[in-house]
Amino acid sequence: MFVINCPFCGEREQSEFKAGGEAHIVRPKQPTELSDDEWAEYLFMRKNIKGVQFERWNHAHGCRKWFNMVRDTSNDEIKAVYKMGEKPPIE
Amino acid sequence: MLNYNQALPKNTLIQDLQMKEIKPIMKLIIRGKKREFISAVGKSLNILLPTEANTSAQSDKLTAVWLSPDEWMIYSNEPVDENTNNYKTEELLNNYISKLNLGAVTDVTDQFVMINLKGNKIYELFQTGSPFNFDDFQNKKGAVTQTILNKIDIIVHNQDKNAVNLFVRRSFSQHLFSWMNDAASRL
Repeated sequence: MFVINCPFCGEREQSEFKAGGEAHIVRPKQPTELSDDEWAEYLFMRKNIKGVQFERWNHAHGCRKWFNMVRDTSNDEIKAVYKMGEKPPIE
Repeated sequence: MLNYNQALPKNTLIQDLQMKEIKPIMKLIIRGKKREFISAVGKSLNILLPTEANTSAQSDKLTAVWLSPDEWMIYSNEPVDENTNNYKTEELLNNYISKLNLGAVTDVTDQFVMINLKGNKIYELFQTGSPFNFDDFQNKKGAVTQTILNKIDIIVHNQDKNAVNLFVRRSFSQHLFSWMNDAASRL
């Protein structure tokens, strides 16, 4: 359990949120030109690293807005939270 | 015709905590992002939509509560006429918002049940089933939050000291009300 600072509502407990997987995955501009392997790479393959990861989260039981989070998956430390469309505050 | 039926069994008073369903209360969800949307709502209803998170605004007849940066719920301060589903407020919003494509207006009158809670143990009750920290909320008149109570989505509006309005979806209302009664009896 940890507290997440929703960029819209403020600090809320984790149980109000849903994790939405890795962030900043760009959809290919011409999917029809991709091979099956390339399409599968885009669709299914995720880094799932132990360490600092960029993720999408949804405040499902609050404002229902999506946002991005930088989280260290090894200790659940939240490094940054930022809105969709904004650049990550840390590299 | 909307469902104005009583959703909850009866009013209860447990340990100085009074819980009752108030009905029928008109409830509308409005959504819009443009600046013109907010000014059109302000002009048509004579109420300024709160843009600060977790706050509300009130006029003589209506209350507007912040739900998200582009979503608000408007509800009537007093019960409406049981013999009609036509609300002047909705008609005004349809004319000034929907027809001009500034935003969306959805009637949720029969979707949400409003429970009025009064007493000095309201927040003790909430603390038994909600992850939300009500410490600041309870001292801030007009504060609003959407959170979970006994795993059920709720909207809470701090009306006054020791008085809140709680909105819950109709299908969950009986279960929540029964849980609240049980939890209140154990405070």
